[in-house]
Amino acid sequence: MLERPAELLVYESDGLPGYHRTPSLAVFPASADEALAVVRELAAHGVPFVPRGAGTGLSGGALADGAVLLGLQRLKRIIDIDPVRRVARVEPGVVNATLTKAATKHALHYAPDPSSQTACTLGGNLAENAGGPHCLKYGVTLNHVVAAKVALPDGTVVELDADDGGYDLLGAFVGSEGCFGVALELTVKLTPNPERVVTLLADFTSIDDAAQTVSAIIATGILPAALEMMDQATVGAVEASIYAAGYPTDAAAVLLVEVDGAAAGLDEDVQAVDGICRTHGARDVRIATEPAARAKLWQGRKKAFGAMGRIAPHLVVQDAVVPRTKLPSLLARIAEIGAVNNVRVCNVFHAGDGNLHPNIPYDASDRAESERVHAAMKQIMQACIDAGGTITGEHGVGLDKLAYMDALFTADTLDGMCRLRDVFDPARRANPGKVVPVRYCRERRPNRQMVDGGGQMVEGDGGAGAGLREAATVVDRGGRA
Amino acid sequence: MTQRPSSLAELTSVVSEAAACAGALRLVARGTWLTGGARVEATAELLQLDAFSGIVEYEPGDLTITVGAATTIAELDAVTAAHNQWCPLSPWGTDDGSVGATIATATPGPYAHALGLPRDLVLGLECVDGTGKVLRPGGKVVKNVAGFDLVRLMTGAWGSLAAITRVSLRLRARPAVDETWVVEVGAAHADAARHALRRSATPPMACEEFAGQLLVRIAGNAAYVQAARTALRAVGDAERADDARWAQIRAATRPFRARAPMAEAVRLLDAGVKHAFDPANILNPGIMG
Repeated sequence: MLERPAELLVYESDGLPGYHRTPSLAVFPASADEALAVVRELAAHGVPFVPRGAGTGLSGGALADGAVLLGLQRLKRIIDIDPVRRVARVEPGVVNATLTKAATKHALHYAPDPSSQTACTLGGNLAENAGGPHCLKYGVTLNHVVAAKVALPDGTVVELDADDGGYDLLGAFVGSEGCFGVALELTVKLTPNPERVVTLLADFTSIDDAAQTVSAIIATGILPAALEMMDQATVGAVEASIYAAGYPTDAAAVLLVEVDGAAAGLDEDVQAVDGICRTHGARDVRIATEPAARAKLWQGRKKAFGAMGRIAPHLVVQDAVVPRTKLPSLLARIAEIGAVNNVRVCNVFHAGDGNLHPNIPYDASDRAESERVHAAMKQIMQACIDAGGTITGEHGVGLDKLAYMDALFTADTLDGMCRLRDVFDPARRANPGKVVPVRYCRERRPNRQMVDGGGQMVEGDGGAGAGLREAATVVDRGGRA
Repeated sequence: MTQRPSSLAELTSVVSEAAACAGALRLVARGTWLTGGARVEATAELLQLDAFSGIVEYEPGDLTITVGAATTIAELDAVTAAHNQWCPLSPWGTDDGSVGATIATATPGPYAHALGLPRDLVLGLECVDGTGKVLRPGGKVVKNVAGFDLVRLMTGAWGSLAAITRVSLRLRARPAVDETWVVEVGAAHADAARHALRRSATPPMACEEFAGQLLVRIAGNAAYVQAARTALRAVGDAERADDARWAQIRAATRPFRARAPMAEAVRLLDAGVKHAFDPANILNPGIMG
C-alpha cells in the first residue's frame, strides 16, 4: 500500500500525456483473494476506486482522482494452459507477451497484440477491449475471451461465461474500462501459430495510392494478418532512431502487409498482394520470409511511438476509425487540418481496419502549441465522425474522449450505457467519471420510475479526499435497483 | 390483436403505450423463430416488425452493410452476392428468417466456428428499449470501443430488452475457390474426423456431421483448396456435393438448447439488466426463462 504523496506521484498518469490525477491511496494486492478483500473493504466504506494494470493505457482511463488506485500487476500467475482445448486461465496482471511466450511450446499464441504487448496486462486488455495490428485477421480482445471471474464493485463474485445462456454479460464486461468491476481471473483462447508468415513492405510516392491499395487488397478476398500504414513523418522519425528498420525515408507512405496461415496457397497470396501494390503505384515491394528479416520490418512499426519522442518531448497518440473507403479523403483532410493548425501529424495506423492513429509530437510546456494541438485533434475527431466513423477503435474513451461522446451518440444511447453500468455498479464507485459524461447519466433510485433530467455522479475533480466525500454521498443515494 | 408500426416513431409510441399499461408484446419479424426457445407469455400482443426491412447502406469497399432488422437472410445474401461478398451469419434455420431475429437470438450457423458468432459479426444496431427509447450503440466501422457495449448486450437478448430495428454487419469477400464435399467417415469416427480437419493445416470453412457423413466446405485460393482436398481424403472417401446442401442442412437444424441453470449472482445481474431496459416487463416476457 502506498500513501505518501511522493510515492503516489508515480501513478498520477498512464500512457497518455497531458493528464495528471493523484490517487488518495494505491493498493497492490498480491493474490486474487487479497484483491477481493480490498474490493470488499472499499465497498464496506463506500470508497470509489480505479483498477489499474500496467498503466500503459492511452485514454487516461487508469487515472484515479482522489479515488483509491487498485493495482493488479502482482496478480501475474498463469493458472493453466490447456493445449487441447486451446485456452489459458490467467490472473489479470499477466503481461500479454508473457502468455504468448508461455504458450509457444504448444505452438500456440495469444492473438491480440497491442503495441505495448511487452508491458500491458491481460486484465487491462480485457477492460479496454484492446486491439493491435493482427486484429485485422484474428479479432480484438472480445473475440478471444471465453470467461471471466469478476469481483463486482459491491464485492460479489460472478463467473461470466460466453455460454451461460443468459444475457451476454461477458461481452458487456469486455471493454467496460474498469467501470463494471475487477476481473480476478480470465479464460482466453489461444491461437495456433501459423505454418508460414511472410511480411511485405511496399513504398509509395503518394499517400493516396497507398490508401487505395489497402482497399484493393481487402477487396480480393485475401485477409492479411496485418495491414499497416506509416506516413513520411513517421518513417522519418523511425529511421532517425535506434529502431531504424531500413524504411525508405523519401516515400510518402509505406504499407506493411503480413500474410500468414497454411503454407499451401500462401505464396499465391503474397504474389497477389505484391501485384496489387505495384499496379497501384508502389515503387518497390520488399518481401521478408525469415524471422529476423520480418522482425526488422516490424520493429519500426512497433516502436514508432517511441521514435516520435525524437521529434518533441510529448506525443498525443490519437485513435479513431473510419470506413476503409474513406481513408484516402480522411488522410487528405488530416493533412489539411495539420497544416491549418501548424502542427506535425504523424500517421501510423491499422489501415486494413480503417483504424487511424494520427499522432502529434509537441512540447506541452509551450502553451500556444498545446492549444493548437488540441484544436487539431478536435477537428480530426469531428472529421472522423462526419465520415461515419468512431472516436476510438482500441484505446477506449477513458477521460480523453469523454468530450466527443455526445457527438457520436444520442443522449438516450448514452443514458442506456449508464443504465448498463448501474446494473454492475449502482453506487458508481468503480472508475468514476470515465467513459460516459456524467451529465448523461440520469439519477436512478431503487423501486422508483426513472427520474428525468440531469442526475449527478461522482466526478472526482476535487483532489484527494474530495472523491471519498463525494463517494459517501453517492452511496447514500445508491443501492442496487 | 397485432401492432404493426411502419416507422420508428410509431414503434416508439407503441412500446411507450404498452409500457404505460404494462401490456406485453411479442416481437415478430418474419415469424420463423416462433417455435424456438422458451415460450413468450401467451397473452402477449404481437408486435410485427416487418416494416423495418431493406438495405439501409451498403458500401462494398468497406465490407460492411446496414440493413433493416426484418430483412431476410435471403435478401442479405442476394444483395451482397451481387458484389462477390457475403455475410457469414447464415444461421441455422431457413433463409426466410430475418437478420434481426438472428442477432436477437444470437443464432450461429455452420460458418460460426471458422468465421465468427453473431456477436463477432455485428458492428452496431438501432433498437427501441422497453421504455420506448431509441438506442443506437456501436457503429458501422469494423473496430469500435466507444462506450459501454450495448451491442453485445442486445445480441442474444431474445428481444427481451429492446426491439432491434437496424443492424450493421461485417462482410467478407467471397473466396476465389469454394467447394462443398461429402466425406464418408462413419458415425463412430465423425467427431474425431471433424476435429482432425479443424486442426489440420488447411481447416475448412465449415464442417458438419450428419448420419456418418461430414459435409465440408473448403475455401481459399486454388493452392489452398487443393491441399484441403488432400486433407479431406485422408479422413474418408470424399465426393463433391452441391453448395445447396448447406441451405438444406441449415433448414433442417433446430439449434436451440435447453439453458443450463444459472448461478445466483449471474441471475441477479440478468434480472437487473432486464429491469434497466424493460422495467415494465413488456418485451417478450418470460422468454429468457
